[in-house]
Formats: sequence, C-alpha cells, structure tokens
Amino acid sequence: MNKPRIERFTFPERMTHWLTAISFVYAGLSGTALWSRKMWWTASVLGGGETIRAWHPIGGVVFALLLALMFRRWATQMKIDADDRRWLAVSHKYAIHDEAGVPESGRFNAGQKMLFWVQSVSAIVLFASGIVLWFPELMPRGLRLIAILTHPLAAVASLGGIVVHVYMTTLVVPGALNAMLRGWVTPGWAASHHAKWFRAVQRK
Amino acid sequence: MQKVAKLIDTTLCIGCKACEVACQQWNDQEFTMGVFNNTYQTMPSLAHNFWNLIQFNELEINGAQSWLMAKYQCMHCADAGCIKACPAPGAIVQNANGIVDFNQDNCIGCGYCITGCPFDVPRLSPTTKKVYKCSLCSDRVAVGLEPSCIKACPTSCLSFGTRDALHHNASKRAEELRADGHAQAGVYDGPGVGGTNVIYVLKHADRPQDYGLPKDPHIPWTVSLWKGPVKWLGNAVFFGGLLTALVHYIKVGPKEAHRDE
Repeated sequence: MNKPRIERFTFPERMTHWLTAISFVYAGLSGTALWSRKMWWTASVLGGGETIRAWHPIGGVVFALLLALMFRRWATQMKIDADDRRWLAVSHKYAIHDEAGVPESGRFNAGQKMLFWVQSVSAIVLFASGIVLWFPELMPRGLRLIAILTHPLAAVASLGGIVVHVYMTTLVVPGALNAMLRGWVTPGWAASHHAKWFRAVQRK
Repeated sequence: MQKVAKLIDTTLCIGCKACEVACQQWNDQEFTMGVFNNTYQTMPSLAHNFWNLIQFNELEINGAQSWLMAKYQCMHCADAGCIKACPAPGAIVQNANGIVDFNQDNCIGCGYCITGCPFDVPRLSPTTKKVYKCSLCSDRVAVGLEPSCIKACPTSCLSFGTRDALHHNASKRAEELRADGHAQAGVYDGPGVGGTNVIYVLKHADRPQDYGLPKDPHIPWTVSLWKGPVKWLGNAVFFGGLLTALVHYIKVGPKEAHRDE
C-alpha cells in the first residue's frame, strides 16, 4: 500500500537548493586552499593553484546568484515570529528531543530560519569582499585590507551554519534528506516536525 | 648563516638612476616607456617589470627647499607580510641569508602578497598574472656577486654586505650627519617587521614619509588577525562542530517522527 505523501519542496526549490549546495562545496573546498597553506591539498585535488585562483571567484558568484534565488523564493517564509522567538529560547530542549514546551513550527522551524539568515548575511559579505579580492590590482588598499579579513570571517560563519545543517538533515531528522531530494514527506513526519505547516496543508 | 643587506645612504644619492638601468638590464626586463609628470622620476611607482625606482621628492622642510631622493624597492623584511599572506606553498621563500624571493612557478596570482606588504612593493603582471618584485639579485648573491644596483652605483650611496656590518656603518654615518648639524639624521630599518634587510640612512629620519617610506611599517593587523585568531576560530567552529555532532548523535540520537497521522 502506498503511504500518502505530502509535497514538501517543489522541483525548482530542490534544484536551486542542490545547485547552491554544489557551488558551496566547490567554493568552500577551493577556498580552504586559499585560507591556509596546510589545506593546499584541496587545490591539488581541484586542478592546482592557478586553476582555483581562476575558478574559486566564479564558483563564488554562482553560489551567490543561486542563493539570491533561494532568498527571493523563501525570504517571506523565513520571517522570525513570536513562536520562533520562544522556540529559540528553548532550543536546548529541542536539541535533546524534549519537545514539551517547544512551540510548533510552520514550514520552517526557527533553527532553519536562523540558518537562512546566517547564510544570507554571510553570502552578502562573502560576495562583496570576494569581488575586492578577485581584482586586487583595481581595488584601493584600504578595501583590500578589510576584505582579506571579512572574507574568511564570513566563510567561518557560513561553514558553521552548514555543519549544523548537514548534520541535522542527514542524521538527526530521518526523512529530511528525502524531502529535499525527492520532495515529499509522510503526514506523520509533517505533523511531528512542522505541525503548523501540516495543519495548513491539510486545510487546503 | 649571516644575513645579507643593502645599505642606502640617501644623503649620497645623486639621482643618476644607474641603479634603475642596472636592475632592468640584469633582470632582463622589457623596455618600459617612462612617464613625465614634472619630476625627474622615471615613473609614478614600481611596476611588475620595474623593481627599483628612485623617488624624487621635492618639498619644503623647515623653510628650506629639499630634494629628497630615495630608492624604492623590496625591503626584504625579516617578518615578511607577503609571506604571511601568501596561500601558495613555495611561491615566496625566505632564504637563510634573509633574501625574500618570489618563485613565479608557484605563484597563483591571487595578489594577497600585495595586500600583506607594508611597503606596497609586489606588482601583478597583467600578462602573466603573476607577481614580481626585487629579488636582491638572489641569483648574483648566490654566486658571491653584489646586487646589480649596487654594482652600478657611482657614489657610495649603495653598499652591500652582511646585515650586522652595514648596520654598524649606517649608525656611524648617522652619527656623522648629526655631528654635522643634521639633528634628525638616523637609520631606518623597519623594527616593526622584525628589521629589514634594506637599511636606509635618512637626513630626516623623523619624517620617513617624505622619502616615500611608511612611518611605522608593520604587517597589516587584518592580515595578522586572519592568519592567527581567525584560523583558530575556524578550526574551533569546524572541528568543534563535528565533535559536538558526534557526541550529540551518540548521546541523543535522531529525532524520530512521533506523531502518526
């Protein structure tokens, strides 16, 4: 018997997400070679130093453009409301699956929304500083000095968010990865993790 | 191993530019058309194919017209900002004799060294996309010759030797100048970057900016912060994140769907 399925992410949402993820992994891996000489092996894997010097910025621009698409699609759904603020206040209980007192979530829970905003803000910083670092010969020294610090700082913020994101969606919440790959979840999953969203979908 | 150095006694420079020509010739640089901007200076600044520039600074000091000539090239810092900022292994090396040398085979052309350099020396070539600067003629020094600029200098403005000996000479010369009534004469060798292997004697050591030299050169703090604390922050975030995830998974485990609809 086929289990009933609820559509969680549309095809364009999933494609945008995964293309963004691929560009993130490329920009991240090539970026670690520029971040530290100890990580130079990533440059070797990706075709050598001159190759990543040429392609890391392009990968970064692709990442920023795709993230801009995600932003346009999701920004209104990512607004932090009163329930989200309460959710964040008791997020330590959410982390140990003690759900009593944790407010029900809509389509995205407050943690996902935080990830969205961390990625959005760090992407803006990464993009702006990245343009400066891309063309050092055209940029004034003052800007380069700021960019050479803010670019790695924003990268750390972005990476930190992604570590949590990947862990949560692959290991902590079974079904989440399938939701982003194949697009659907079971009613039980929706009711368990995103009750407000589940009820809204049911009403339709 | 003894550190080698170049001493530039700016009080003896006559602005003949023989050092510029010798540098261009020895390093096999293509001819570059100079720019005339109402000074004697060959071009406004250093270039990827022009590593040694005499700056002609005309200004008034204490009511007297001064014409300060100062050679402008890589300072071969002990604590080199270019090396600190460079991501590519082997692209910038510091020899045991103190020479900071670029190896273009390993350079990826990111230009971080340009930002890391407190003296604004490295230059990116628009054609090869690699960075170039004075090598203190490391190829000549390796076989016991002095750098080409020093070979060509007709006054004793430029001299080459061990860092200790030249430092001694520089201090003595500054003392002479002070005895001659140039009260502000002194030695300039960038203590903020661990000392430079290019040492200047300046008549107005209290105002190095007038010679085109930074007042207190040091590696930019944003570069130091990135290559120090920010790296540790990054390690803590990444590896701390992985470790936390491991502990969380083993102790708390996955969040199963608890409602059945």
